[in-house]
Amino acid sequence: MVHFGAYLFQLLHYFLISSGMLKKYRVLPLHKLQCLAIVVDSGEAVDTLRIRNLLRWLSSIGVKNVILYDMEGVLKRSESSLRRWLDLTLTFYDSSPLPNQDKMSLEFLSYSDGKEAIAKAASFLCSKYLEDNNLMGETREPVLSESDIAEALRIVGCSGPEPELLLVFSPIRCHLGFPAWRMRYTEIVHMGPLKSMNYGAVIKAIYDLSKKQQNHGMLLNLPPGVSIIILPT
Amino acid sequence: MLTLLFPSPSCRPRLPLGGHTGGCSVVAPEGRWRPRRVAGREDQLDGSPPGFGGIPLPRLSGCRVPPSAAASSAGSSFVGAREEAYKRRLMEPPEAALVPFPPGLTPELMPRHVAFIMDGNSRWAKERGLPTSAGHEAGYRSLREIVRLSSYWGIKVLTVFAFSSENWLRPKTEVDFLMRLFEGVIRENLEDFKRQGIRLCIIGDATKLPPSLQKLAMEAAEVTRENAVIELLVAVSYSGRSDIVQACQKIAQRVKDGTLEPADITEAVIEEELVTNCIINSPYPDLLIRTSGELRLSNFLLWQSAYSELYFSKSLWPDFGEAEYVDALSSFQQRQRRFGLRT
Repeated sequence: MVHFGAYLFQLLHYFLISSGMLKKYRVLPLHKLQCLAIVVDSGEAVDTLRIRNLLRWLSSIGVKNVILYDMEGVLKRSESSLRRWLDLTLTFYDSSPLPNQDKMSLEFLSYSDGKEAIAKAASFLCSKYLEDNNLMGETREPVLSESDIAEALRIVGCSGPEPELLLVFSPIRCHLGFPAWRMRYTEIVHMGPLKSMNYGAVIKAIYDLSKKQQNHGMLLNLPPGVSIIILPT
Repeated sequence: MLTLLFPSPSCRPRLPLGGHTGGCSVVAPEGRWRPRRVAGREDQLDGSPPGFGGIPLPRLSGCRVPPSAAASSAGSSFVGAREEAYKRRLMEPPEAALVPFPPGLTPELMPRHVAFIMDGNSRWAKERGLPTSAGHEAGYRSLREIVRLSSYWGIKVLTVFAFSSENWLRPKTEVDFLMRLFEGVIRENLEDFKRQGIRLCIIGDATKLPPSLQKLAMEAAEVTRENAVIELLVAVSYSGRSDIVQACQKIAQRVKDGTLEPADITEAVIEEELVTNCIINSPYPDLLIRTSGELRLSNFLLWQSAYSELYFSKSLWPDFGEAEYVDALSSFQQRQRRFGLRT
């Protein structure tokens, strides 16, 4: 009973948010959101109408960079049609006096961009290592760093930004194999199945991110506007 | 160059290629179901009751062993009298238990591997006007309780995030305190670990740890190597990315040694070299719990958590006790029932 009551309250909250009745959600601060990832259950990813609605919501909020991920690559197969639809339908206007049509950027990922990509990167690095040894005529000890892996991922075509926020649309509350290399400090919010997607819930997730302060394991009291960037070793 | 792996290589089993386990039974790319890993060892049947930090736990025969354990042991290689004795134990009525199995939880749906991001010690102390060290000590007590409950409830693996690579940037006094705390905890509980069937592994970049702690951690891993009631992995100086890097480093060494071709490097090869490969049962978490209300992995088990059910608890770690644990397990089990995730 308590859980049902909490669920109803949450629905009411989302309704109030999406209707614009709650002032603090009307204009979302997006300074902390450079990139947003959407993880969709592959079984639901075929529902391109809902995917388009979701993209429309994100565009109206002002999100500029979106990663779309599902494990089996269903969204990748819909990439061309979604991009065509995006070109025809969505425009993004910034606040400058002259309207500047800036399209939302989309990146499509699947399981092959995660663990398999790291395997490809490792294979590339090892091949390069052997080639370098042959060229130099000597056998060095292999030494790898995070930067090496990151660069190798770029070379094999599987690099990209780490999203600040990852919304999971799935009955399952897990990230379904989203590329491990790209989610060190990503906030993960489970939104439920795609068929139950809720505009107010999306707004709330983005708003809550704007209020987060991540200390990345350190204990520092930073003044507003100051952030720490952890560089790979 | 990163990471020395604890425990010693002698207790690192070679895992079968191409399999994984996790809380989500999801269809792999190209429509293949990914199989769950089969436990490599049967549960310890004899020995004194599991426990931790001197707190006694019921005898193993008083625990409700999940049938999945019976199923996996049925698939293992031991036969004959030992198998019969094991089956008889399962059929025996449970003895009076110090901690009853929580009502509302189903033994068959318990996760085999639970991971914890133990967040919130400092905030807990700050809220009470206490020094940070008090928060870490309270966190230690919370961990003891969780290990105790997990042992009793049939969870086979616990992986806890005690200290991240980024935590080295904390004030030196706090870091030194934590290193002393880790050392003290291991020393204090080593006999209990040996006696109570807890297999301890410290995973992470050991090169940054004080030499005395490195030595103690290796010793603890060695003396508890044969224990099988529960595996306790403590991630110290750990980062998920570093884990992947050190795996690639080991793979590069194998290429240098001529035992592996670059073209043969696959996802499964990388999995073999991750530091969590020391786990014998269920190397990947079925359930990953983070306390203190934060909603991120913070560079913990990035590779291994692909199919883990994520549970974010608002409780601070020192306040995470039996009630909160039952809530998390109940949530996990509800999803198992609704979506039939376990194969």
